[in-house]
Amino acid sequence: MSLVWKLLRQHISALQFIGFFMANLLGMLIVLLAFQFYQDVRPVFAQGDGIINNDYLIVSKHISIMGGSSTFSSSEVDDLSNQPFTKCVGAFTASQYHVACSMGIEGVANFGTQMYFESVPDQFVDTDHSQWHFQPGDDWVPIIIPRSYLAIYNFGYAQSRSLPKVSESVISMIDMTVILRGNAREQYMRGRVVGFTSRLNTILVPESFMEWSNREFAPDADVSPTRLIVEVGNPTDDAIARYVQQHGYDIDEDKLAAGKTTYFLKVVSGVIMGVGLLISALSFFILMLSIYLLVQKNTVKLQNLLLIGYSPTRVSLPYQLLTMGMNALVLMFALLLLSWLRGYYMNMLWAMFPTMEDHTMWAAYLLGGSLFMLVSLLNVIAIRRKVMTCLRAH
Amino acid sequence: MDTIHLQHTLPEVFASRDEIRSDVWLKDVRFERGHLYLVEANSGTGKSSLCSFVYGYRHDYQGIITFDTQDIRRLSIADWTHIRQRHLSLLFQELRLFPELTAMENVEIKNRLTGFKKRKEILDWFDQFGISDKVDTPVALMSFGQQQRVAMMRALAQPFDFLLVDEPISHLDDANSRTMADIMMEEATRQGAAVIVTSIGKHMELHYDQILRL
Repeated sequence: MSLVWKLLRQHISALQFIGFFMANLLGMLIVLLAFQFYQDVRPVFAQGDGIINNDYLIVSKHISIMGGSSTFSSSEVDDLSNQPFTKCVGAFTASQYHVACSMGIEGVANFGTQMYFESVPDQFVDTDHSQWHFQPGDDWVPIIIPRSYLAIYNFGYAQSRSLPKVSESVISMIDMTVILRGNAREQYMRGRVVGFTSRLNTILVPESFMEWSNREFAPDADVSPTRLIVEVGNPTDDAIARYVQQHGYDIDEDKLAAGKTTYFLKVVSGVIMGVGLLISALSFFILMLSIYLLVQKNTVKLQNLLLIGYSPTRVSLPYQLLTMGMNALVLMFALLLLSWLRGYYMNMLWAMFPTMEDHTMWAAYLLGGSLFMLVSLLNVIAIRRKVMTCLRAH
Repeated sequence: MDTIHLQHTLPEVFASRDEIRSDVWLKDVRFERGHLYLVEANSGTGKSSLCSFVYGYRHDYQGIITFDTQDIRRLSIADWTHIRQRHLSLLFQELRLFPELTAMENVEIKNRLTGFKKRKEILDWFDQFGISDKVDTPVALMSFGQQQRVAMMRALAQPFDFLLVDEPISHLDDANSRTMADIMMEEATRQGAAVIVTSIGKHMELHYDQILRL
């Protein structure tokens, strides 16, 4: 053991260092946990969507028991298109015939349901356009389904039948048979899920398919739209709210809600990280204070070491290594605790969002490493300065 | 380093005194490498101040002190560290040993820095000083006279051009003083170094080249 260390470790207070260790560990853990949690949860709110990411609103007519038309006439659509806040308007077209669908694994159908299709103009659909097309004569049709349907399957159906849960990538590979009935005809087609949406509660097919199928299976039906999709410049524009209110329309504010949730998540994570940083800063002061006390108590020893020819660098080194060692230990424990806690909450998150991707902890390692470097650097500088004051004092 | 040159040096606390009668203060004094000096002083005449000025840990003096041609006020901390390891050694009057370390460790803490002496050589010194039984005794448990011998060994465990010894034998009997002087002179002669001894009465019996009254 170095004689210098043997001298300078005199008066080290284990209690003060344990205090620092606990406080710094708590601070570091809170900072890293808030950061990592934000990293892990954010994608849930920002996952890719089959619908264009621009600002848009879904407008429908207010439904009441008094009756009245729930479809938009072409003059109403034109009027909405001509509003200054509107960039463009697309109509939802609904299928006017019977649709049934069954899904199976390895050719055995085990999940069937009645359903319906809707379409919007292709420009509103944000998916691989090489897959999003249909020509009469094709025997398969691309489909975008709501994510909630996947949840219904995973948590309702699969759970009760002990079937495997499926992810988004798996469902795209599942056979789906679509049966179209109407106009005294019936046709079997294959369906393939090419995308998911969290924003529209409907099953989308390409507009070209809708036109063809309505013509084939329900040639006489009225195809006036019941909902419109409106791309707007600024969804918070007051004029939109006034217009919608005057005409007795409803708008779907789902997108706004997702935005608010993300914002809220950011604020909460920010506040928690702030608290963590504050605790870290306080623990930093505890450490500095105990090191200062230590230097103060060992002033005579430090002075004598400097007088017999030890350099300030050499004399500072034991305390610098001590603090850096403590910081490194704190970082290590914080990361260990973090990965343990993360395992715990990730299990809960996966139960809620089975399709969520697993992110690594690299960002947290980087943040922890940066904090460690910063704090250690400040420690090293402060200790050196404190030792230099000893030099001047003798 | 060949010369320590004091030019009109005076401790600031003496500045208000009317009459300074001294061979050192306010004079032009040169200490040359290879020579042996005795600085005799009454208490309160600034003997330890002289040591602290020359050793660079007090600067409250007037005039100029130079090592060769270098004004020592302009030396950096790194310069002083180097000088104290390689060129200048001081046996402090108050010894400045580390009471929690053993006698051997007190010498080793310097020797490890300079790598100057072998452990065997240090043990030989202990033997010659008659305190070989105290090698592993904490300094705090030793008498002041014994501590003076440990401090001398520490001062010798480095290369030096000048050795300053501030009242080295104040607590030693004549026989021990003799031994200390012999060991000190043997090492200084081997290194070709100058020795400056201060004393307030009892002093080492040596053939001084120059005796100065402070």
